Amino acid sequence: MDIDDILREVDPTSSGVPNETSDLQSLTRLWVAERSAPELLEWPSGGLFERINDRIKAQIEKIEILTGDMDPKTNFALIVIQTELERYKFLVRSYLRARIAKIDKHTLHYLSSEELRNRLSETELAYATRHQALLHNHYLSSFLSSFPTQLQNLNDTAGNVSMIDSPDLDAAVFIRMLRDRPVTGQGTDADITLNASNGEVLILRWSSAKSIVEDGDAELV
Amino acid sequence: MALPLPPGLVPSEVAFLCEMEHVTIVPRQRLESIELLSGATPSLRPPRREDIPLWLALLLKKQRRANILPPPWLHVDSLRDLIHHETVTDPTGWSLPPPPPVRADGRGNARRLNSDATTVLSPPFLPSCTSSAPAGALPYHWFEFAEMLLAHASDDVPSASDVRSLLRDLQEVRAAKMRTSIAGLESGVDGVMSLLGVGAMELSESRGFVTGVVEGVRKLGASAEASRREEEEERGGADDDEPSDDDMGI
Repeated sequence: MDIDDILREVDPTSSGVPNETSDLQSLTRLWVAERSAPELLEWPSGGLFERINDRIKAQIEKIEILTGDMDPKTNFALIVIQTELERYKFLVRSYLRARIAKIDKHTLHYLSSEELRNRLSETELAYATRHQALLHNHYLSSFLSSFPTQLQNLNDTAGNVSMIDSPDLDAAVFIRMLRDRPVTGQGTDADITLNASNGEVLILRWSSAKSIVEDGDAELV
Repeated sequence: MALPLPPGLVPSEVAFLCEMEHVTIVPRQRLESIELLSGATPSLRPPRREDIPLWLALLLKKQRRANILPPPWLHVDSLRDLIHHETVTDPTGWSLPPPPPVRADGRGNARRLNSDATTVLSPPFLPSCTSSAPAGALPYHWFEFAEMLLAHASDDVPSASDVRSLLRDLQEVRAAKMRTSIAGLESGVDGVMSLLGVGAMELSESRGFVTGVVEGVRKLGASAEASRREEEEERGGADDDEPSDDDMGI
């Protein structure tokens, strides 16, 4: 704890949330959202993952140094640090795996437009492009090459039917409000607006919830 | 490589989230502050109470380095009040969640409304399971938290067997309400359905069923909905009782 932390703690105008806590909250929120949302969400900007990765690396180095001296007093601290590191790594890993699962399922959809491509991180984009290329080559060599040329595409939209499978954006999701505000949802029988208060859990379509979640007024649960 | 789990948190993931809840402990041994990725732990000096994450508290408890102070809502009296509220006062809705913690910031504002806070905190990062939490209101992670505390630190919970049976009653009352609210979907699905006061594990338990029902109803009524939307579009801007975005543009 340095002087800045102490100042922040006593400063009544600051939000009083240390950086580490707010990063963990952001990571947890991203993970829960990615696990619940029917489509791939935006890759977080603002260097959150760079910060988290740096911190994990530093923590691993610290463990390597601490394991050197087998003092029984620091031993317990080491167990705590390692437990926490594993928990943190689980969050990161689970988040990335949830994203890969979505990319795998609808690869062509996420590669189809500039706007959708921007949701992927650089490595994810490289993965998706290469994976799709490998898959296409494999299909070509195993069976597509014996088809007529006009039937060899995997992204045909002829006859008003797109070959590209896309996620169901009207799927029902659960959200929890972070601020009081009215929420409009489209329903089968009626579109209604509900005045939702902070902490309230709502069920609605992802297509209706998306803008509220993106505004930061609600989070997926 | 890719995650094989279905969308929505599964119970083990909800339990993982719940372990991030902060809980109040009474240390029995000194322990220096440890620099963790989620921030440094407070340095423990018996018998000063400190708030630490639940996973750490359970670890300390297992090694008999600390005792856990159960939150006020987990006491027998509070649970009795809650059951009374759920069964008699309001037999249809769930009991209200605890009010969001408010911190004065010197300008008369509360922290949760503070617009310059970049990250709004929500469970499990709100202090809803510490000894300063209000009694008589169930926090979001109430069920998992109580289960974990009773499983690993039952000697720290006063009259644990009573608490256990009261919790079971409470769970049954609330599960019945969840089922009734789903039965209400028969009469028609509105755009937004509120589940004020529901808990994380209850949600995770019935998530598959609820989303299944809502999806099914949506698919059955898809054509009716499309024709209703068309009709509304024809009526155009004259129809003002539904100020949805689509209507505004016309």
